[in-house]
Order: sequence, then structure tokens, then C-alpha cells
Amino acid sequence: MSLTKRVSNWFSERLGLNDLPFFKTPDYMYHVNEWLGALVAASFIYTVISGLILLLYYNAAAGYQSTETIINQVPYGSVVLYSHLYGSYAMIILAYVHMFRNYFVGAYKKPRELLWILGVLMLVLTLGASFLGYSLIGDALAVSAVDVGAGIITSIPQLSFLIPIIFGNYDTGDYTRVLALHIILVALIGLLFVFHFFLAEQYGMMPSRKVKPKAPAVYTKEEWSKFNPWWPRNFVYMSSLIFMTWGFILAIPNALAYLNGLPQYFDPFMNPKPAPPPNSPAAAHITTYPPWFFLFLYKIADFTSDVVIFLMIGVIIPLVYLIILPFIDRSDELHPLKRKVFTGIGILMITYLIQTSLWGDLAPGVEVSIKEQVIAYLIPAIIVALGLTFIKPMDVKTKQVRGISPLTSLLFVVVAMLFAGSVVELIDYPSLFTFAVTLFTGSLFFIGSKTMGKVVLSKGFPNNAVPEVRTTTETPTSNETKRKFAEVLMSILFILVVIIVAQMWTIPPTGYASNLFGVDLGLVFLMLGEVISLYHYVVYKKPVEKEE
Amino acid sequence: MPLKIRLGNGEKGVLKTSDLYFIQKLLRTMRNPKTRFDSREFVEKGEDYLFNYVGKNVGGIDEGRRNFLKGIVIGVAAATVVGIIPGLRVLVPPVEQATGFPKSLLVDVSGNPLKASSIPVNSPIITLYEYPLTGEPNFLLNLGDKSGNPVSIAPVEVSVPQTGKTYKFPGGVGPNNSIVSYSAICQHLGCTPPYIHFYPPNYVGPSQLTAPEPNTLTAQALLAAKQANIPALIHCDCHGSTYDPYGGGAVLTGPTQRPLPAVILEYDSSTDYLYAIGAIGVATYPEGSDGVPSQDPTKDLDTSQYGSSVGSKTQVQASTNPFSGS
Repeated sequence: MSLTKRVSNWFSERLGLNDLPFFKTPDYMYHVNEWLGALVAASFIYTVISGLILLLYYNAAAGYQSTETIINQVPYGSVVLYSHLYGSYAMIILAYVHMFRNYFVGAYKKPRELLWILGVLMLVLTLGASFLGYSLIGDALAVSAVDVGAGIITSIPQLSFLIPIIFGNYDTGDYTRVLALHIILVALIGLLFVFHFFLAEQYGMMPSRKVKPKAPAVYTKEEWSKFNPWWPRNFVYMSSLIFMTWGFILAIPNALAYLNGLPQYFDPFMNPKPAPPPNSPAAAHITTYPPWFFLFLYKIADFTSDVVIFLMIGVIIPLVYLIILPFIDRSDELHPLKRKVFTGIGILMITYLIQTSLWGDLAPGVEVSIKEQVIAYLIPAIIVALGLTFIKPMDVKTKQVRGISPLTSLLFVVVAMLFAGSVVELIDYPSLFTFAVTLFTGSLFFIGSKTMGKVVLSKGFPNNAVPEVRTTTETPTSNETKRKFAEVLMSILFILVVIIVAQMWTIPPTGYASNLFGVDLGLVFLMLGEVISLYHYVVYKKPVEKEE
Repeated sequence: MPLKIRLGNGEKGVLKTSDLYFIQKLLRTMRNPKTRFDSREFVEKGEDYLFNYVGKNVGGIDEGRRNFLKGIVIGVAAATVVGIIPGLRVLVPPVEQATGFPKSLLVDVSGNPLKASSIPVNSPIITLYEYPLTGEPNFLLNLGDKSGNPVSIAPVEVSVPQTGKTYKFPGGVGPNNSIVSYSAICQHLGCTPPYIHFYPPNYVGPSQLTAPEPNTLTAQALLAAKQANIPALIHCDCHGSTYDPYGGGAVLTGPTQRPLPAVILEYDSSTDYLYAIGAIGVATYPEGSDGVPSQDPTKDLDTSQYGSSVGSKTQVQASTNPFSGS
């Protein structure tokens, strides 16, 4: 036995890698759809690490000043700070994607109810921790966000006892308590994550609907034991995903740091830099806006002056709905079209979330009349209701049924929103132009719903033994060229990584150029992830990974 | 050379070249006694066994190729680590180095320049400002005689008992040459106000012998003041060190072996403003040191464990009156 083999055997024996109690994964599950939770966890871990580095420098008694010190004086401080911000952005977005994906595949059903509820709670904690973290910067935006948040709480007399609990001595510009709560909430997320993770491992990943069309969708012990153990294939696949997530988190904000003079409505999404301090003359000239993930709440605040109603619409109703969802949707159907009401509500939740957020971004603080609200929110509801009524699920036995993937439905939602918008325009300004636009978006919507239907309705494949056998014997050779290509690609990436790394050593640690370090490190992580992914493809990928 | 059959006019491929090689290789492996194909197991387990067998023995990747790929992955990972290394500098805090003493205008709490003529004589209130770095407090004193008239402080030679060396204290500034400034960190073990503070003439008397901390004067301190014929003194209640504010901060009683370093003030008589422009004497007592500060006041600038340079303005704060409680 070679030395390396002996060393790796020594470790795998000591660490018990061959019989880790983790879920064994069937071959067909090596797709990112099944690993969205890992992406959320990856961004969580990144954000925690970068946050701990920031904690070495942040001074809660002088929030804005120490933020400026971190950006301008700490070596690569701005790289860490901006990527910390975007790590939390990534975590929020991925958590939404993870949640809605599991919503549409019905992963909240028996036996995963607790898993679902824990997840929803973690989303709330994540939004809370992000809000507090956003306040820590102490710039004009953070202060106004805190003021709005505090204002909402104070306007309900029964809740005003929360103000000192949450903000402590905030009035004196002291962020000690906000910082402590920020860390406490993150620690809580970490704690719930442990439960969430081990529950998920216990039930295993949700099998394909082709295999288990009804809840409870879990593999039996016998089926389960045949699959790939965690080490090494899961590990390899997972690390590729983690590194790619980190790559995006690092590269995007540090590249965005070089963008200047964007229109104001891009700022909530694309500006990693802090705004001027609240007591500076420049603060008077900026439009205040909340962090993008609370833009929807900010807009809902324009709908009504009654804070209780606002909280009901914006927070309590959606939250309670998500938490009790496993107990309202008690059927054992997993197919989205066999539980149309819930699918419809899910699509509408995504639509309203995006729609209201964008609205809040484009017209912040502009009052909205009841009539406008009805138009804005009724039309998507009608479209979704009509669409779902006419799409019929096919028999699972004869046709391959593929659910609406989150991406497809997102795209469809965008088209539907465009259609809805043009209908509104047509009603408001009936003219040939608006009619043409409506016609165009309407036909797009029509085509979209047809293609969506096709994804769900057709794509039957012959359930015939002979061609299947032929494909299994034939593919190894045709895979071979792809593998060769992958190997060449890996070598090229290796050379690129070495070049970039050499360049990284020359980047100054502070000043204008220092953000390039973040961009480069992000690219290196992306390429590392890609190389591992290619390795996974060449070494582990089987010619046919049928759903079992 | 691919295997083809001819049907009428058209040729139809049956096997590609690579397939032919694959079959050849498979057959060779199956016959090889080392990797013999177990037909009995095949009958038992069916095609699963065949696929596993092919994957293991003839399959796309042999050991060498796999190791090459592993090598690339490890290489990229190693390069990533090398790339992260310069980023670890984020853990090294930026060291604030003041290159020299800044010229700092003394301002009051509301940010307006402090008028030298408005500084009360013999004030019992501890009046401090930070200089040359943040975290380094200094007394600002307008000295007077027993009846409260400002006293002109003449330049004087100050000796350092620890080393026997001397240095020249430039004397007081201001309209009456009565304003002086000393480090407010005791040179003995680094005590700070309110333990070390200025005792105006009306508090230099036997009644202070029994006063509670931080206002207790020792008998030695009173005796030394009497011998030196000075109406007021600076005294540290931690261990009883006493300094002479009229004599450049010189040591009156131990245990300290070094005088208080003085801040050099500049007085602009046209505006009545005061500027701190440097320091003289031993270095400011450093926090956590073994009690032997450097002899050179500038040494302290690049090794100080306090904060950053105070810049062109420093705020004078007169907040604590240690005697108000007693």
C-alpha cells in the first residue's frame, strides 16, 4: 500500500468516515436543487467567520467611526466588511429559495413538520439578525432604519417595553446592545441550525416524486443503506457547492465596490458602502431606504396608517401561515398541482414579496390608495387562480411528472407581473400603445403558461426495457469525451488559479485597490469549487443516475 | 477502425472504434486470473454486478488518472490557501504611529478654542486633555499663590532621581506665565486621576491627613511642600508620590523616582489661544510596563499602547472635583 493510501486510511479509520451517521445519498440527488440547504449553511458559515473578524475591530461605542476605520485602515477590512454584508444577503436569498423550493415539493409534510417550522423560525431570526447588523454601521440609513423600526414598536403602547430591551442606550449612539443582540440572534440561528441539520439527516433528503409520490416521503432503511455514503462523494460534492457560494459572496460585493454613481434605486441592492453619518450635512441629501430585504415592509407601511394592520399584513399573517402550514395542508399529496390552493398561495407569496419590494424601492414612502392596492394585488391573484384552474396534473404512472422548479415559476411570475402591469396601464391610459404592450405581454404570459404546463404535463418517456439497457452500455464511451474535456478544463483552471494567486500577493491591503483582493479571492474560490465539481463529475458521475 | 455493415447502398455503423477497444479490453480483463469475472455472482446479482465490475476494472477512470485529478484538486486547494495567506493580514491591527508631536489647539467641550485668560487659578477641579495620543491625559493648571493670584513660573532645571540626569523645564505660559501642563499618569505605577490630582493651597494642610481617598495627603508630602516653600502640589493617593507643579513636576516625595513629564505649551497672545506642541522629560508612563519608561518622550509615540494621535485639536475637560464630596 502506498504511503498516501495508508495516511488516508489512518484518518478515515480514526474519523469513522465510512460509517458516519449522515444520510446516504442516491446518485440522482447530486443536483443543486437538493442541496439548497447546504448553500444557506455555507453562506451562514462564511458570514459568521467574517463577522468574527469584524468583531476584533468593531467598537460599539463609536459605530460609524469604527466602520470607517475598518474600511479605510484595517488591512483588507473593506473586503471582509462588504463580503460580510453580502454573505448575509446571500443567506437571506438562499433561505427564501430553499424555503419556497421545499414549499412547492411539499417537504413540510409528514414527517418533516418540525423541520419546516424550525426553518421558518430561522428565517425570522436571520432577518432580525440582518436588521441589527445593518444598524451597526451607524450611517444615516442605519439610523433611519432603526428609527422606523423603533417607531413601529412605539406606536403600539403594549409593545413599547421592547424598546429598551432591543435598543438599550441607543439614543446616545451606543451600539453595545445592538451588537450583543446581533451576536445572540446569530448564535440562536446556529443552535437551531444544529437541530434543523440533524432532523434533516434523520429523515433524509426528500426522495423524487417518481419514487415516493405521497407523504410520508422517506426512504426505508433498506433502500437507504444502498446509497452513497457521506464520505467521499457527498463530501466532494458539498465542498464544491460551499466554495462556489463563498466565491460569489466574495467576488460580487468587492466588484460592486468599484461601481459609482448608480441611480438611487439600485442602491439598496448594489451598494456595499455605508452612507454618510447621520450628523453630517451630506446626510440631508440622501434618500433614506431600509435594507432591501425589508423594502416590502417599508412599502406596506404606505398602505395604512394603522400599525396593527400593517404588522398583520406584513409580518404576522404570512408568518403564522407558514408556521401552521404543515397542519392546514394535511393531505398526503406531494404534487404541486394536486394541492392547488397551497401552490397558488406560494406563487402569490413570491409574487407579492418581489412586487412589493420593487415597489418600495421605486416609490418609497409614497402613499398608496385602497384602489391602487386592490389593482396591484388582485391581478396576480386572478392570474394565478385562472392559471392553476386550467392546468391539470397528469397521471403519475404513465407520464413523467416534473414539478415547477422554483426558477421556472420565478420566471413565470416575472412574466405574469409584466402582464399585470400592462393591464393596469391599459385601464389607466387606454391607448393603442398600451394595448399593444398588453397584447405583447399577454401573449408572453400565454406562451409562458403553455410552456409551464408542458413542463408539468408532458415529457412522457417510453417505459421500455430495451432502449434503457442500450443507453447504459453506450453512454460510458460518449461520456468519455466529456470527461476528457473536464480534465483539460481542470488543468486550465489550475493554471489560472496559480496566476491569480500570484497576483493576489501584490495587492495593497488598504486603499482603493484593496477590494481587488476580494474579487480575486472570490474567483479563486469559484474556480476551486468548479475544479472539485469537475472532479466529482469525472470520478463519481455514473452514466445513468436513475431515480430510485 | 469502426465496424460497419453494408445494407444495399448505405453503410450502417454497428460499433464505434472506441466501443471495439472497450470490448477488447473488457474481454481481456474478464479472462485475467487476477480480475476474473465471476459468472456465478453475475447470475446471482444480475446486471448490478456487471456494471460494478466494469466500473471497477475497465471503467473510465483508472488509478493513475484518478490520482492525477486528485493532484489537480489538491493543487488548486493549496493555491487557494496560498492566496488566503496575504489576507490574514486582516488579523494584524493597523498600528497608529504618530510621526511626531502634533500641534494641537486646546478647545473646550463645545469645541471653541480655550481662552488662556479664562482658566481659573488654583482650580480644585481636575482639568484634563489628551495629548499627544488619545488615552494619554494631562493636567492643565493655572498656578497661583496662597491668595489666588497667578504666579509666574520660571524655567527650571528638573532632575530625574532614577538616572541622575536633568532636563530644562521651559516654565509657564499665558498672560501671567502661570499656565503649566503635566502628564496626569503617575510615574510610579501609572495611577490616573482622580487618584493623582492637584491640591490647591487651601487643601494643603493638616486637615487633609485624615481626608478620605483620593484626597489624603501624607505627612511627608506636607513636610516636603513646606520645605520647598510651595503653596500647592500634585499628589498621588495610590502610593503617596508627590510632585512639585511650580518646579516642572519635580519629585517631592517618593516612591516615584521620576518627575512628571511636562507638555510644552505655546501661547498666542493675539488670540489668547493655547497650543500643545510637544513634551519634555521622561516618556509618558506606559500602561502595563515594568515601571521603567523610556527617557525619551518621543520614544513613546511609536510604541505607545494608547490610541491614535489627537490631531490638530484636543478637548479640555474639567469635570471632576475630587474635593466636592469631602
